[in-house]
Amino acid sequence: MTGHTPAPDDADVGRPRTATDSAPAVPRWAGRWSAGTAQRLGLVLVGAALVVLFGSARASFYDQQLTVFPLLRDIAVFTVVGLSQLATMSIGHMNLAVGRMAAFSAMFMGIAYQQWHLPLYAGLAVGLLAGAAIGALTGWIISATGVNSFVVTLAMDFALLGLVSLTYSQLTTVAAFTAKPAGMDELRGYSMADVCVGNVCGSPAIPQILLFTIVAMLLVGYLYSRTRTGRELLLVGSNSTAARLSGVPVTRRVIGAHALSGMLAGLAGFMLAVTSGSFTAGIGSEFMIPSFLGPVLGGTLLTGGAVSVVGTLLGTSLVQVIRQGLTTLGTGLENLNIYLGVILLLALSTDRIRSVVSARRAVAHP
Amino acid sequence: MKRSPVRNALFCAAVSLSLAAALTGCSTKGGTGAASDKEAADKIPLSAVKVALVPGGAHPYFQLWKTTGAKAKADFGLGDVTYDETAEWNQAKQNSLLTSLAARGHNAFGVFGVSPTDVNSTFADLKSKGFAVASLGSCPAGGTLKADFCLSTDVEQAAYKATQADIQAMGGRGNLVHLTGNNVDSNTQRRMAGVKKAVAETNGQVTLLTTVTDIDTDLQTAQKAVSDLLTAHGSQINGLVATAYNPAVAAAAAIKQGNLPIKVVAIDDDPKILAGISDGSVFATVAQNPAGQAYVGSWALSRLQSGQCTVRAPGAVVDSGSFVVTRDNVGTYDVERQTKTDRLMNDFKTSVLSCP
Repeated sequence: MTGHTPAPDDADVGRPRTATDSAPAVPRWAGRWSAGTAQRLGLVLVGAALVVLFGSARASFYDQQLTVFPLLRDIAVFTVVGLSQLATMSIGHMNLAVGRMAAFSAMFMGIAYQQWHLPLYAGLAVGLLAGAAIGALTGWIISATGVNSFVVTLAMDFALLGLVSLTYSQLTTVAAFTAKPAGMDELRGYSMADVCVGNVCGSPAIPQILLFTIVAMLLVGYLYSRTRTGRELLLVGSNSTAARLSGVPVTRRVIGAHALSGMLAGLAGFMLAVTSGSFTAGIGSEFMIPSFLGPVLGGTLLTGGAVSVVGTLLGTSLVQVIRQGLTTLGTGLENLNIYLGVILLLALSTDRIRSVVSARRAVAHP
Repeated sequence: MKRSPVRNALFCAAVSLSLAAALTGCSTKGGTGAASDKEAADKIPLSAVKVALVPGGAHPYFQLWKTTGAKAKADFGLGDVTYDETAEWNQAKQNSLLTSLAARGHNAFGVFGVSPTDVNSTFADLKSKGFAVASLGSCPAGGTLKADFCLSTDVEQAAYKATQADIQAMGGRGNLVHLTGNNVDSNTQRRMAGVKKAVAETNGQVTLLTTVTDIDTDLQTAQKAVSDLLTAHGSQINGLVATAYNPAVAAAAAIKQGNLPIKVVAIDDDPKILAGISDGSVFATVAQNPAGQAYVGSWALSRLQSGQCTVRAPGAVVDSGSFVVTRDNVGTYDVERQTKTDRLMNDFKTSVLSCP
């Protein structure tokens, strides 16, 4: 992808063209798919093959209520986790504190519901603001000190771990905020079959919480593909020095990307708390590895400058389908983790292989 | 390339409004999807009941569930009793595992919930699908139970008993340290409350020097924490009470190796701890009754799912028992535990369940 200027769309946003770049974009009808499109198509094919494979091994894999509904609910949560990491990956950074930021936001939501008695969406707004604030602080520290994002977010992870645990132990007796605002249980269990326009209702296999993911994908996709800010974020990821020399406010973009990451982590924390049942300090403790897995599998570069929102959904879906399929087949704990480890390795290798292939293409077709 | 800020704002507003419309603008039927209720099961033969015993994750405590589950299947003529420990101490993964087991035909569930504050939602989901559900080994936090019954150790009571035994061994005075598991787990909070209660009853004769939490993840973590503790405060400590498995094993080994005059009261009956009691390096341990939980729990679940019995008071909480084991009864406590299991079975038949 690095050797091409891809056609911009919501799903695949490659290295941006600057104002001085006058080369025409490759048209969609050029007859060849971009590397990113081919990769996403590959994910769809592999995912579909696995669905057929698991389904033919056990018909219960197609059970709408017992398999598909919980599977889509997990995909909904972890896609937003992936988008959170994608926001920092777009500028070539990483956010190792993605799980703790989710816990931090969820803690504010829990306080909003239990102590301040706010309604569901007001509490969500409080938590998202808290997530954005802690993300912005992280971005500001990275910009102000020049220390690598790996180190800063790792430190932030430890700091938040202590802060969140301390707050829960001070404010609660059961290490969780258990107050449930009106609508929380419904959001957890309701599917699109409960949403009707006239006599037409949705599918009972699609959880309502998936709507949050769709909205997040649309907004993030729009940001990176249709706005100047999004293109500037990608330019910072491609080459921050070039971005600075081109007049891009790099510091503000770094803070913005981390704030977006924190806010999306907060949204994922909210979704997990809703699907689990309460706001606990343990929220997000499993987020870090899946946060990289989805975007990288989907074509987002670890080195920054290219993101894929739809790819993040597809990458996350593939991982969750494999996990759900293996669980449905009754695979033991050890085997389950071996298979998931192999997928992680493949995901990281794919990024490297793509870079090498792109570099060779660039040499062959300068 | 420059986009209108107004257009951007309009796009964001449109997307946000579409969500609001989807959730509020349309009519809502209410729970017809995944949470839809099924009719309560009609009478089915015991051979059609497939019990799933699902701990929060892999842990030595649950190994007896596996063997006892197989025994229960044979003794009671059940269709199946499966043990699945792949939840990896994550509530979301446990939820996913439970629905997968249901999709595979299991219709009765004995669950050790990962998150005591969340597991009631899981129980409610399973109940709404017409399955028999028991909370085994741990009850949800908050005093509400949405499973049919809870059969578990009263963890606060067990910690209280262990601390009382330690205080007795210390001669009723001195400094005590509490070693335990995940601080942000409500069961840990209950154990801490049990220890504090017993210390408070000494009217200041015993001081709780410190409580070391989050050291039950694995044995190495516990060994390091115990080693650090003894290096820093070893001379001040008179008693160590461990209310989690790994700290208990680590404390027993460290005291034995250092030949220290610290009275250790552990939890569970790991062979290393029982050996420590025999050689005097461990004063006592509080054994629990996981086998009784799995055996009696499987029986009750099968009777509920088969329609032969109902729960007299839904949400009943039953203590599966905890036993202080010292050198005096290290050879005989298992008989006491078996007696407790027999009594539990009788209690379920006569007072917890109603079997017309």
